[in-house]
Amino acid sequence: MKTGFVGMFLGALVIGAWSGEAQMPVQSGGTSQGTPQPGGGAALPSSFDASGSAAKPQQNDPTRRGETPPPTLLGMEIPLMDPASDTASYNGGLFDVGNNAAVRARFEKYLQQIPDDSAESKRYRKIIDEILKLTQRGGHDSHYSIGSETLIRVGKALYQANEFPGDGGQSGVLASAMVSALDVQRANLSKAAQNAAIDAEIDKLVRKMDHANTKNAWAARNFEKHKIKFTNDMKDSQHAIAEGTASVAEKKTEKGVNTTAIAAALFEAKVNYQFVLLTIFTQRRFDHVVIGTRVYRHLFKDGDTKLQVKEDSQFGKIFSQGTGMSPTINALDSAASNARREVDQNIQAVHSALACNRLGEATQQLIAAVAIGEYMQSVATFPTEARRRIAQYWTLRKRAYTALNARDYATVEEIASKMKELDTDFDDSLLLSYTTGKKRQSDLAIRNAMKALQAGDEEKFNKFIEEAGTIWPRNPNLDKGADMLNKIDAGDPLKEEFRNLYKLGEFRRIAADRERFKIVNMDPELAKQYEEVITLVMKIDGLLEQLKTVAQQDTTLGPCMAYEKLIEWQKEDNRYTQDKEMMIALKDYESLAHDFVQALRDAEGCEKRGEYGSALSCYYRAQCKYPGSNIAKEGIRRVSDIIVNATYP
Amino acid sequence: MATRRSKKKGGRGRRGANSNMLTLVIIAGAVLVLAALLGSGVLKGRGGARESEPVASFRIADYRRDGSRFASAGNTYVFDGRVENIETIGNSRIVSISIQDNPDERLPLLVPGDVRLRANLTRGDHFIFETTCTTGKAQDGSQVKGVLIVRNAQSK
Repeated sequence: MKTGFVGMFLGALVIGAWSGEAQMPVQSGGTSQGTPQPGGGAALPSSFDASGSAAKPQQNDPTRRGETPPPTLLGMEIPLMDPASDTASYNGGLFDVGNNAAVRARFEKYLQQIPDDSAESKRYRKIIDEILKLTQRGGHDSHYSIGSETLIRVGKALYQANEFPGDGGQSGVLASAMVSALDVQRANLSKAAQNAAIDAEIDKLVRKMDHANTKNAWAARNFEKHKIKFTNDMKDSQHAIAEGTASVAEKKTEKGVNTTAIAAALFEAKVNYQFVLLTIFTQRRFDHVVIGTRVYRHLFKDGDTKLQVKEDSQFGKIFSQGTGMSPTINALDSAASNARREVDQNIQAVHSALACNRLGEATQQLIAAVAIGEYMQSVATFPTEARRRIAQYWTLRKRAYTALNARDYATVEEIASKMKELDTDFDDSLLLSYTTGKKRQSDLAIRNAMKALQAGDEEKFNKFIEEAGTIWPRNPNLDKGADMLNKIDAGDPLKEEFRNLYKLGEFRRIAADRERFKIVNMDPELAKQYEEVITLVMKIDGLLEQLKTVAQQDTTLGPCMAYEKLIEWQKEDNRYTQDKEMMIALKDYESLAHDFVQALRDAEGCEKRGEYGSALSCYYRAQCKYPGSNIAKEGIRRVSDIIVNATYP
Repeated sequence: MATRRSKKKGGRGRRGANSNMLTLVIIAGAVLVLAALLGSGVLKGRGGARESEPVASFRIADYRRDGSRFASAGNTYVFDGRVENIETIGNSRIVSISIQDNPDERLPLLVPGDVRLRANLTRGDHFIFETTCTTGKAQDGSQVKGVLIVRNAQSK
């Protein structure tokens, strides 16, 4: 029997046992009929519905749209279960679990259990091992027969094992099945003895009828000579023959009934025994299955080992799918033996992986071992410390999946980091790529929302904020969006306040509270004013900073230049004269460049009074104080023209 | 430093011989005092100004404040200065000069196009300017007060 076939068979039984009923495999030989899941890993949710739950891959299969399939969850460390598609993998096959929560709960319960290393458990294991030795082929007691001492020892040992609580009563069930089979065999022997007696009686009757026939023939030959004398004898003979014939027929009928009863009882006994074996198999008591199949050949020596299951039944399909032949007791024996061997190999692999701190691989192997051979000795006695380490890793993995489902990507990354610490081989690249991508998508949506807000498009703002929240509900930047939404609600009084301040030219106050006033951007007209205010204030601040630098670099000419620039800018834009900071700066530079400023003011005063000679002199003085002065230069040019073009007496 | 030269004449009446004598004595005394002062060079001034009669000195600061006060009829102001800039507008020129020991000051002088100077004004050279402070009339009829007009100039 091929391993894949055994695995497929066992997988179906395991899942059936854990979920309450046997499930049919949906796939075998690694060919998926459902969601493509390399390695049986769970798919990361590629999208979410409005309720926040991950869209099922079956309903949203990206490969059908020509897209790249999403990466698998946490790499290969979840070999058995695929929570996204409710499938379990074993030996390359995927099986429909239906109730993966039960599987997880079972495994977690196992991890929390204390290893069964008690003396009682050891005694139980010893008894089972002794039974297995007794039933081994080629042993010194191999030539036993029904009712032999060996079978009696096996039966007694099974009843002893039945007393152990961990046995779950399976030994008793098997022993009872054996006793029942033996009882049937005994009953059949009794019926066989009855048939032998019937045969003897028939023989006697036949002999008696032969005698009567002979007597009758003799009487017939002498009838014509002694007609009257022999008539009665003939009659007696004929009567005896008739009676004998009827008796023989009667006996034969009785024998036939017995034979039929024997066959029926034998068939019924086989069916009952096979049913017990299959039941034990589904309970994954593989030691008992092996014992039962070995005993079977000695309970039923007719050589018929065919399992009495319908080919279209679940068991029939499982066994016939692999070979195309009718299922037999030998197939059951082989499957159970393979399972025992594979579970032991899995446990060895767990120990090796733990020694190298490869917790992901250890978890994978232990899940497979527990799923298949939960009652095997190697699984039941798995050490506490190793269970604790795997439980720690398993809990992290579970939390990662929960966080992933909740789209809490920051937590996922945190957990992945811890898993990396525990498992040196843990490959978190796929996971981190996925979470990073999602976080960026969410941040991008928030940025778009902010842009929409600045553009005054409330509808788009809401749409993008919703998108950002859907992608990453716990995105810390969402708080900004929430703040903005609150401000939208409280926006009207703020707009009024903004209008008043703008009207009064209190740009500085608006700029100082720019975050609070940002909401007015929802109104296109106010948005323009807001931008104007912020731009102007920023420009003024920039200019003042530049002037400050220049004035500090040259304390003689710098203040003159700064003063003149401020005057020039105020002439260019009247809004500058309303800016408090600019006016303060103007006063400061006026003080620092006093002579220059005074000369200009004197010049202007003289010009107004018609004292052009004096005005020109003042402008020249200002030019001496600050040779680069445009105001002085312009004044000189203007006054010179007036003087030159005037007429003098 | 600038000086003002007055062209006004003295008294006119005669009231008797005593008064004539007294007048002569006063004039003679004054002439003597003036001769003594000229001899000592007190009225020459560092600005290079020359004048026939001593008056209050010409301060540029005062001129900047109120130039028209220097525009009394007949006053001539002589400046010894260095030409800092010459601005030619039409046929006329505005010459700004700096006075010795006052480098931060510029005195603007108008050289009308019809004035023939003895010297050719060049930038950076020192000249002695003979000027009058005049009030003119602009094209719109308004007054153009306190303009120093160069009447003559000679190299120093």
